[in-house]
Amino acid sequence: MQNYQHELDARGLNCPLPILRAKKTIAGMQSGELVKIVATDPGSVKDFEAFCKQTGNELVESGSDGGAFAFLIRKH
Amino acid sequence: MTKRMKAAERRASIMAVAKVLFADKGYHGVSVDELARRVGVSPAVLYQHFGSKEELYEAVVDGLSASRETYIEAALDGPDDFPSVLRRITRVSVEHIAADPDLFRMELQASLESAETARRFFHSRWQSIADYIEYSLRELALEKGVRVINERVAALMFIGLMREAVYDKCILDAERYEAFTLDELTRQLIDLFLHAIDYRPAKTG
Repeated sequence: MQNYQHELDARGLNCPLPILRAKKTIAGMQSGELVKIVATDPGSVKDFEAFCKQTGNELVESGSDGGAFAFLIRKH
Repeated sequence: MTKRMKAAERRASIMAVAKVLFADKGYHGVSVDELARRVGVSPAVLYQHFGSKEELYEAVVDGLSASRETYIEAALDGPDDFPSVLRRITRVSVEHIAADPDLFRMELQASLESAETARRFFHSRWQSIADYIEYSLRELALEKGVRVINERVAALMFIGLMREAVYDKCILDAERYEAFTLDELTRQLIDLFLHAIDYRPAKTG
């Protein structure tokens, strides 16, 4: 995963909380910066795709590892 | 119904008929023979599309939750404070249930027939809102934004209010509440809920 400037731990949270936390974190970032988000809700994979589609931010990378899902998002 | 009906259309028509029958009689009250007869096909044709009655029931139940995208859009589209998000996600969920009363009647039938199926309905319909309330109230209690209450009980109270509102408006069609639209009823119930938990907006500035 690329270098990122911000990190958000959304483990243990279910929809809609991870995306609400992501919205808040990204609001405090500069355009072009990256945030890595880690979540455990299996629905988060589709949720962050929808999140990026709706907010115009870029889903750079996503993957899973041992029950956790990681997303790298670049602020629009 | 033509023999040349495409597989997807046939499948959809079977599910539409099944939904009404399951809503009227519950899972156990409907036989494969009756399902096939009402669709206008033989049981063999029905089994070509669904391996069993259970599989058909599952397929109907799978269509019940508000689309994830609609839900996320509602969560994101506006202010992030607890009441605003709660109102938006509740509204899309309640609207989705009200749009298909047969599925809601299936849920009520399931609550008598099978705890496991009833839990599945709860998970699809209400779990997310209940979780949102629990987490938010825990955080708000730390910030003194609500009174000290058990957040799990508060979430139960909220789901009970919403379920009853949908039940009264969509199933009973109760004369008692005819002056309220479902939207107005849920809006006022959310006001009462916020009052009960003594929600205090965070001071700004």
